[in-house]
Amino acid sequence: MKNPFESFHQVGGRKREIPLDKILQSKEETLSKILNGYEHLLKNEAKDLVWLMQYSTVIKAYSIAEKGLEGIEYTAEDIEEFCYALDRSDQIPYLITGPAGVYISALCNYAKEEEITLHLRDLNVKVNLTGYRLPPNKKLIVEGNVGDFTGIGLDGGELIIEGSGKNYTGAGMKRGKIIVRHNLGFNTGHGMTGGEIIVGGRIKGLGKIVGGKIFEREHLVFPNEGVKPFYF
Amino acid sequence: MKDGYYQERIRGVYDYISNNLYLNRPDIEVKGEHFNSAIMFGLLTCLNGGKELIIGEPGLGKTTSAEYVGSILYRYPLGVIWGSEVSGHPEQTEEKIIGRPDLGELNQGKEKVVWSNFAQIPVKVVDEINRLPETKQSMILNGVDRGNWEYLNEILINDEYCLFATANYQDRGTNTIIAPLIDRFDFLVESRHPGPNIAFTIGKEARLNHPLRHPQSEKELHQVLRGNKPHEEKMALAEEICDLYGEYMKENLGVEGLNKEERRKVKEEMMGISFDLDANAFVRMVLAELSFCHRYGQKRSVEACEEGCHYTGYLCHHIKNCASNRLPISVRNYSQALAWFLEDDEVDLEHIRLAIPYTLAHRIQWKDSYLSKKEGEGRNDPFQIYLAKEATEEIFQRYNEQREYLLEALAVGNKAFIGEEISPLDGDHPIYEEIKKDIGAKDEKSL
Repeated sequence: MKNPFESFHQVGGRKREIPLDKILQSKEETLSKILNGYEHLLKNEAKDLVWLMQYSTVIKAYSIAEKGLEGIEYTAEDIEEFCYALDRSDQIPYLITGPAGVYISALCNYAKEEEITLHLRDLNVKVNLTGYRLPPNKKLIVEGNVGDFTGIGLDGGELIIEGSGKNYTGAGMKRGKIIVRHNLGFNTGHGMTGGEIIVGGRIKGLGKIVGGKIFEREHLVFPNEGVKPFYF
Repeated sequence: MKDGYYQERIRGVYDYISNNLYLNRPDIEVKGEHFNSAIMFGLLTCLNGGKELIIGEPGLGKTTSAEYVGSILYRYPLGVIWGSEVSGHPEQTEEKIIGRPDLGELNQGKEKVVWSNFAQIPVKVVDEINRLPETKQSMILNGVDRGNWEYLNEILINDEYCLFATANYQDRGTNTIIAPLIDRFDFLVESRHPGPNIAFTIGKEARLNHPLRHPQSEKELHQVLRGNKPHEEKMALAEEICDLYGEYMKENLGVEGLNKEERRKVKEEMMGISFDLDANAFVRMVLAELSFCHRYGQKRSVEACEEGCHYTGYLCHHIKNCASNRLPISVRNYSQALAWFLEDDEVDLEHIRLAIPYTLAHRIQWKDSYLSKKEGEGRNDPFQIYLAKEATEEIFQRYNEQREYLLEALAVGNKAFIGEEISPLDGDHPIYEEIKKDIGAKDEKSL
């Protein structure tokens, strides 16, 4: 008699794998690679758990972050996942918001997507330096509040903060646009040379601004008669 | 020939019919695409040489959908299809359906059969089959099943054919279709009402001539079919006329049917499509539930299964009859045809889940208690198709729960079958019992 089970001869030993398992496994692998890159950055830049926010340290941290991300395939969801990992001490042994922000900015700048939305309303940490060097043709939308130095050195991209920011937002930005739905802190636009900062709420104080435009509640607050460009 | 060449043409036929001839809503979805079941399954019936029973209210396009599909795909002008149709009525005779003696020859003492057009052409349409009295339904059993038509001492064998039969819902003039005849149908489809908005547009553009009519070809084909030549020669001549009609359709209607050789190639391509393991195992699970009886060894329509059986929750407890061997053949043919049409490499669960209810609906005899329990449930399909769809999804749910274990049980079955010392797997489904029977691990009860 013909074997009616012949087509199942290869079944033995095969493990069942449902698509969700595969997706979760791949997500975990990606997050682990991203976390490794971040740890590498901390080991180089914040050995004593101290990180001094200076122009040169940001540039150096960014270049280390760039190297750490080489060869990692990730999506906007993975960036969001990393942001939430910053909140969990089991995954991030020590959090320093400066390098974390530089690292997140590098992640966003090198992501494949042209438009990235980070849903960070439930994030307890306020990440600094979000949107650092955001290049042209990139749009980063952050749902939630951000920390200091948001959008510094913005390089043509569009940064939208669906919440409030703190001090030094848009400092040193060259071109592009920062839109903040609610309020900003002191020294907004300090040293910026171009681009636009549009704030839906209040700005506590402007920095020394060289160029560009700043709007507060649809009113142009820089340049205007009261605030003239500053020449360093 | 590039991949998908024939599929593209068949999609062209589908589009032409659905846009111009049979206006109706899409009512089935497979792999993200929506189709109208009457046209879609009609095409698959033509392509795989199947037998389809179309049910529906009078005037909802049961016969016309079959005529259009058959006419375009086989490239027979509509007039010939009409002239070959058999209509079911109490006075119908074998002479009108199959053939009659050649009276001229008979006068000279010779017996010769004049075959009916219905018996000769490959597209067969039986209109209102359930108006044929039950005693006369037996006349077409063999023809429906195998394409063998016998009259006097002669036999005509169709090497290729498809058959459509239409049936109205039960009324005073209808009869029950006898079990052996209904089992010979592969598929049951409903030709549904298109809804008031589409219905309003039907017949809006009055036509003097039907686009599928072609009087010249029809006349020539009738002459060929009436002629004295042997059947094979007649069919070869008919194919030449069909070629011309095919050209006419291509030029004037922008639609291309398939010639005999192309139909053969398509059939070959379909038959070459294999089942993936899930589809394979799922069909086995369905067949197990439709044929298994814990107490009597298998389902038999004359034996009622007992109350309180361990397998009360399975379909075997709700049905009276046993699945015939024609069922897996129908499932195989139609799911392969569907996979082919969708240009898939293998038959998978989605093809199977779509095809199975339509192959089961007319074949299952449900117990009255089950019917009365389900009767009041809200639904979109005719009761038979609804029950079959529900049954398929119920088994599919069980399959999902047991998939891994079942595949392992079948793999163990394979090892045991080829002589390996291995114990079969126990499980809570009739299929595990059936695997044991096949590998001789469970003795059949002594008779």
